[in-house]
Amino acid sequence: MEIVDSAVHDANRQHAEEAALAALVDQYASTLYRVAFSVLRNQQDAEDAVQEAFLRVLRHRETLGEIRDHRVWLVRIVWNIVLDRKRRAKTRPETDDIADLARVLPATGLSAEQRAAALQHHARVLTCMEQLPAREREVMMLSAFEELSSVEIASVLGVTESSVRSRLFRARNLMAELLQHKRSTT
Amino acid sequence: MSLFTEDRFDRSEGALAAEETLRMIATLPAPAGLEDRVKAGLQSAPRSGTVISWPLATAENWMRGAGMRAAAAAAIVLAVAGGGWGVYSHIQIAPVPAALVEPQLPNGTGRFSSAGAMRVPQTVQGTVIAEPAVEKQKAEKGAQTAQHPVKKKAKTGVGTSTTTQPKTRSLR
Repeated sequence: MEIVDSAVHDANRQHAEEAALAALVDQYASTLYRVAFSVLRNQQDAEDAVQEAFLRVLRHRETLGEIRDHRVWLVRIVWNIVLDRKRRAKTRPETDDIADLARVLPATGLSAEQRAAALQHHARVLTCMEQLPAREREVMMLSAFEELSSVEIASVLGVTESSVRSRLFRARNLMAELLQHKRSTT
Repeated sequence: MSLFTEDRFDRSEGALAAEETLRMIATLPAPAGLEDRVKAGLQSAPRSGTVISWPLATAENWMRGAGMRAAAAAAIVLAVAGGGWGVYSHIQIAPVPAALVEPQLPNGTGRFSSAGAMRVPQTVQGTVIAEPAVEKQKAEKGAQTAQHPVKKKAKTGVGTSTTTQPKTRSLR
């Protein structure tokens, strides 16, 4: 009877783990996708990164109960994945990024001229973002996610909150300078 | 959106516009059916990272039962114990002799021999005592008188043919 009880217990435990994992997918897959897309700027790559992140969770599903904040934990996993992929991937032409953005950015209520101007501006911003130092760029990207506080960004990046604030301050100043310079040259 | 049309570009406004672009990208909705695709991928993924894939592991949860795990553990224990017994049973232990025989020593005394070598002490090199000077002079004088006894007589006594014996007393 003990053997049967143990088998039932194992089966129940496995079902509980699968249910917890499915709940995590339902709750955070969208957030992880957006984080991945903000770095990779490609739908398929971002989706692959989300898949890989949840596969890593599956491998370490025994530790799910020990995680305090699943959202930050998952964002950190997918953040490391996308940074790794970004480093390994070949450099995509900027025109591809802009074309992807044009396809996905909302354009309701804009005239054709306004839409073209908006796209030009976005392309300029993204180009300037690539010129930022990596630390400042990462903080600025993550700060765009309203659901992430500075404490959570610090946890994702593995730095202190004050460091996040100072990096964000520097990033904003650098970004303004770069945009101003780019605008004056064009 | 006035930023895109106005010529005047404020510095802080530019930075805010940049963040607005990033925020717009960050709020893009995920593609439809993303969760289902992720779940399907997780279902098809291997459950655990096994180093060697066991052929019988295709049957779902066959190894999950505690009975199977206990049987496998017992089989491993039996294999190890059987192997150990097989090795032990093939070892032949040498018989213990009733008395210990010590090897015969060359000299029979139980000590090291000198192999016939003899010790020869070094001779003492002492000082050589010289002969006393007085006796040396006496000996020289005696020798002179023994060599020329006739000449002395010839000078002192002419015509005498007697020969005298040399005095031996001085030689003493």
